[in-house]
Amino acid sequence: MDLRSCDKSSPPRPRWRKVAYGGMQTGYGDNYTDESFLEGMVTNASVVKRDMIKVMLDSISISEYLCIVALVVLVWTLTLTSTLDENSLLFLDASLLVSGFLILIFTQESLCFNLLLHYFLNISFFITGLYVLAPIYQTLTRSISSDSIWAVTVSLLLLHLFLHDYSGSTVITPVAPKNPALSSCISVNASVVASVFIASRLPSRLHVFAIMLFSLLVFLFAPLVTYCIKKYSFRLHLCVSILLIALTLSFVYTLDRLLFVVLLSLLVFVNVVCPYWLIRLHEYKFEINGPWDEAKLCFDITD
Amino acid sequence: MGHHQNHRILMVSDFFYPNFGGVENHIYYLSQCLLKLGHKVVVVTHAYGNRSGIRYMTGGLKVYYVPWRPFYMQNTLPTIYGLLPIIRTILIREKITIVHGHQAFSTFCHEALMHGRTMGYKVVFTDHSLYGFADIGSIHMNKVLQFTLADLSQAICVSHTSKENTVLRSGLPPEKVFVIPNAVDTAMFKPADQCPSIEEIVIVVISRLVYRKGADLLVEVIPEVCRLHPNVRFIIGGDGAKRVRLEEMREKHSLQDRVEMLGAVQHDQVRSVLISGHIFLNSSLTEAFCIAILEAASCGLLTVSTRVGGVPEVLPEDMIVLAEPDPSAMVQAVGKAISMLPEIDPQVMHKRMRELYNWHDVAKRTEIVYDHALKCSNQNLLERLSRYLSCGSWAGKLFCLVMIVGFLLWRLLELWQPADEIEEVPDVILPDNHHEEMLHQSQ
Repeated sequence: MDLRSCDKSSPPRPRWRKVAYGGMQTGYGDNYTDESFLEGMVTNASVVKRDMIKVMLDSISISEYLCIVALVVLVWTLTLTSTLDENSLLFLDASLLVSGFLILIFTQESLCFNLLLHYFLNISFFITGLYVLAPIYQTLTRSISSDSIWAVTVSLLLLHLFLHDYSGSTVITPVAPKNPALSSCISVNASVVASVFIASRLPSRLHVFAIMLFSLLVFLFAPLVTYCIKKYSFRLHLCVSILLIALTLSFVYTLDRLLFVVLLSLLVFVNVVCPYWLIRLHEYKFEINGPWDEAKLCFDITD
Repeated sequence: MGHHQNHRILMVSDFFYPNFGGVENHIYYLSQCLLKLGHKVVVVTHAYGNRSGIRYMTGGLKVYYVPWRPFYMQNTLPTIYGLLPIIRTILIREKITIVHGHQAFSTFCHEALMHGRTMGYKVVFTDHSLYGFADIGSIHMNKVLQFTLADLSQAICVSHTSKENTVLRSGLPPEKVFVIPNAVDTAMFKPADQCPSIEEIVIVVISRLVYRKGADLLVEVIPEVCRLHPNVRFIIGGDGAKRVRLEEMREKHSLQDRVEMLGAVQHDQVRSVLISGHIFLNSSLTEAFCIAILEAASCGLLTVSTRVGGVPEVLPEDMIVLAEPDPSAMVQAVGKAISMLPEIDPQVMHKRMRELYNWHDVAKRTEIVYDHALKCSNQNLLERLSRYLSCGSWAGKLFCLVMIVGFLLWRLLELWQPADEIEEVPDVILPDNHHEEMLHQSQ
């Protein structure tokens, strides 16, 4: 046997081996610790060194979406206070739809007529459905008191922002075919429910239709459009984001000073404090890998 | 018996018969061999179904089935102090000197070890599994383990890889951690009397068909092996979530006549399945030790396994073919094993296994650990608290609080039910001929 042949050779203490068989190794206790102990340990193997500027630039897309949601809320408030009438709202809807389509068309390399027709058909079905359902939306939650509506809407929007998938698109299209996660589905639903709640406080059916169309367009398709822009050119994405941020800040400033301060500090927090924080915390990153880890399969499991 | 000191050991784990698995087996065989060495062994576990109360097993092994409900995968609900009264009573009644807990997932074991330390007993812990460091579940488990092991007398691991893992997870000094592998009851796993013919090669797989056991790897490997080697047949024993995938694979490649699926195999049937094959295939993705390999080798099968965890330490290189957990490497390894087959004599393999692994040897080595544990100095509460405090800035304080409350509860129990009022159990000495020979020692 291996062990015995080791015994016969001249040194009194055979070399210790990292094996479990053959009983206790001659000359070594069971708690013997060799120099090879923890040899297979690898620390921080897959840690990416992050760059402050890069993280800050990446976090812009979060601020961008925050601003989009802030703009939606702004439009809601203006409609509720009757500053915006239904005609200008419908005009806003139409211009959003057209600009969104144009952006989608221009950011794609190959234009496909069938795809456009498909989009167009879907959108028209969607708008018709929404128009037919508008009376229901108007009365669906009317019996709930306004205070509850505000409270629930705010919490739903917070939930929406919290669970939103900032890295991709929340709707599946041929452009962004990735299946959305459960959390981003919940996030989209929360935003839709919030819009329905708000719709019940509006005076007319046309108002409800216009505001629902507006909210759904933004909540469902703004992530897709921003995703397309980002995929097309990062620089363009930055420009659009900064433009949006500036626009939102100026609108909010005219509306309410306190809200402006809150939004500004939120943006600073997201874009400056959080990246710095992440970089600082990164120093403490300590990742341990070794032979005890579960092996990863190198192929896809298709269930 | 010429033994200097007889220990009185309390084995604690959530996992014991009638549940079945590696840990249960380990506790049972270790206890049997320790009893033979003249120690007293008592097992404590939670009640299984209506099996509650005290039972005696072979060789006078006493088992307490504590009426405590398991809530998830045979684990009891962690109550921290809920078990203190009953553990204390058992410790005093049985005049225990050493508390030996098994398996890191077992909440019962953690609680018993904690109370054992509170009451000043020496505690030993055996870790049977490997754990990563990345996900939330592991981070939580590792913290709990750190707490339990902070004040441990000695620890045992089943392989060197497992030792490295335990030392990293718990921060124990390596010299406190012993490596004592599992063993196999070679008398139960004998090869068939006549060698199966080599004309048709049978590859046996016995494992739970789940992700961690590499069932997905099997789905990739089996069709490829069947394509390359027309004389190979597979027998798959076991059940689990991935069984459907294997059956799908069988349909898709029309291998119904070459891949036999047995479903769950009872432990006493394992040998009869094993001896119908030539090669044992283990596709686990993580494994601290892998007893299945020992059982297969003891039945004279050549093993092909993934190179994960402690598996490379288990068998000498000429008894096992290792491959990275990757389908093409596994197929290659199976091919290599098939070419090695003509030189493999199951009887010789079995004989070697008898020399390599033996439960009595495991028991003797565990006895040394107990001796070490008893030599550890007794410490008072304050000295022990300082060890817990060093476990982390927040966790350390929390651990201290838990220990202090435990200590106070113990004191309260001492007042309420003084130790000398608890009746001690007289030791029953079984005459030797009553012993049912469960473990046939290799000569």
